[in-house]
Amino acid sequence: MSKPLLKIESVCKMYPGNVLALNNINIKVSNSEIIAILGPSGSGKSTLIRTILGLTTLNEGNIYFRSKNYKDKNFNIIRNSIATIYQNFNLVSRSSIIKNIILGDIAKVSSWRLLFNIWPKKTQNKAINIIKEVGLRDIDYNKRVENLSGGQQQRVGIARALIGSPDIILADEPVSSLDPQTAKDILNLIRETAKKNKISVLCSLHQIDFAKIFADRIIGMKEGKILFDKPAKKLLKLDLDKLYK
Amino acid sequence: MLTDSKKLKPPFNYKTIILVLIIVFIIIFSAQRVGIPEIVDRLYEVSLDIIGVKETSRINDGLSRIFNEMWPPVIETKKDINLILNFDSSNLPFYSFIENQKVQLYETNIETLELESREEEVLFLVEPFGYLKVVIIKIIESIEIAFWSSFIALIISIPLAYYSAKNYAPNKIIYYLCRSIVSALRAVPELISVLFMVLAFGFGPAAGIMALGLHSAGFLGKFFAEDIENADKGSQDALKALGASKWRVLKEAVLPQVMPQYVAYILYILDRNLRMATVIGLVGGGGIGQELKGRFDLFEYGHVTTIILVIFIVVFIFDQISAKLRNKLIGNSS
Repeated sequence: MSKPLLKIESVCKMYPGNVLALNNINIKVSNSEIIAILGPSGSGKSTLIRTILGLTTLNEGNIYFRSKNYKDKNFNIIRNSIATIYQNFNLVSRSSIIKNIILGDIAKVSSWRLLFNIWPKKTQNKAINIIKEVGLRDIDYNKRVENLSGGQQQRVGIARALIGSPDIILADEPVSSLDPQTAKDILNLIRETAKKNKISVLCSLHQIDFAKIFADRIIGMKEGKILFDKPAKKLLKLDLDKLYK
Repeated sequence: MLTDSKKLKPPFNYKTIILVLIIVFIIIFSAQRVGIPEIVDRLYEVSLDIIGVKETSRINDGLSRIFNEMWPPVIETKKDINLILNFDSSNLPFYSFIENQKVQLYETNIETLELESREEEVLFLVEPFGYLKVVIIKIIESIEIAFWSSFIALIISIPLAYYSAKNYAPNKIIYYLCRSIVSALRAVPELISVLFMVLAFGFGPAAGIMALGLHSAGFLGKFFAEDIENADKGSQDALKALGASKWRVLKEAVLPQVMPQYVAYILYILDRNLRMATVIGLVGGGGIGQELKGRFDLFEYGHVTTIILVIFIVVFIFDQISAKLRNKLIGNSS
């Protein structure tokens, strides 16, 4: 069996007041694998994603990316390989569509280019191609994202995640603020682009039906613990009962 | 039986009543100390005067002495040509003329030691808008003071704001140090700091610029820092997760959010500095205030009226322009 792309090993995270948000979490993510994390509110899904991204420090355990441990603030080894899609899109609302997408490459551009807002032509062209890929072909690229619908904003978020050609995308409830049809379209888009570009996806979700269609594998989390981790096709009603009761 | 936590809280209790009584007591005590009853008394008196019940009032007496002399405003200048150095009648200033006027001259008779008056014809150089020109030049100086002081405030406040923002300060020592500087700058009013600046930079606009600049740097530093702290965290987190350094996050996620508000603050400070630039001249800070103080001390109230009218017009126009710009900028962000 090939080495996992991302390996989360015995991870624990405790918040002030002795709240155990993550309790001995072990997950392996393989290349091009799409994983959905299901669980009720407060189960630790978002904390897990924030921990992988290094936005919150973990108390115990290790996280390996391509067999390299990046626990000790050595997050640079993952920056170019991991991209994120957020529940509230986390876009710069007053900036344009194309600017938001280009910002996906913010760590790679030189300081003087950033200071004078001169982005490499290559990045700009890539952004334009990705805009078309995520279904925003007919929109004015210079429109501010605050003037877009929720679905369109999430498409911009996906485009921003794709521009850095990541190996893995972490998605934190990417469709929970969207209507069902738009949510379905967005998940389809994530799945299609991930499969096409051979990107792994670790996505927290609320909607069981969507998770079954979207993911190759489903992990159930409750109160910071993993209750089950199995292929989407083998998910049983009993598993879901354990998760939501 | 319902416990306290399950009951609807009453709108007031004995604590509220005690608090209200304390506040009323403080108000009455303080009002006596600062002369509020006298203000009420005098306003009552003047209102009786206005409706004709009373013939006179202290407010009316006090103000009418000045108001009678304030109108009409003086906009011309009239100078005795004998007092003008190298006067050349063939080369008069633009839009001016020479006027022959009879004036009463007083002289002491050496033999009788009595003051005698005689009438003499004197030639005057009259510039119909001469004084208005002087006032306009002075108000332009005040506008310049406002611009430069706002510019200096901006330059000082940018690094102060960055290090006074909790989420960007490199450590707590720098954070508290910069916060203290920002508070100290705000705490000293311009009218006080200009006294020190006059000692450092001498009388004139430089002292005014520095006094206004330092004070408004305190305001801008505080406003800017608070906006940086309160900017939407989502986009900042997203860029941080992409590996962006602090300043990159500030430039690309924070600045686009706060920029309209920043421009509005700068316009407000400019507007405020323009109003204050007219005042600090009274204590040596240059600009129109200095002219106003001079004319007031010479009891030339007609000139004072001209100055006040010009200040009013300029401040009003600027206020309108900055309000429109502010609305436009903040409107765009919605």
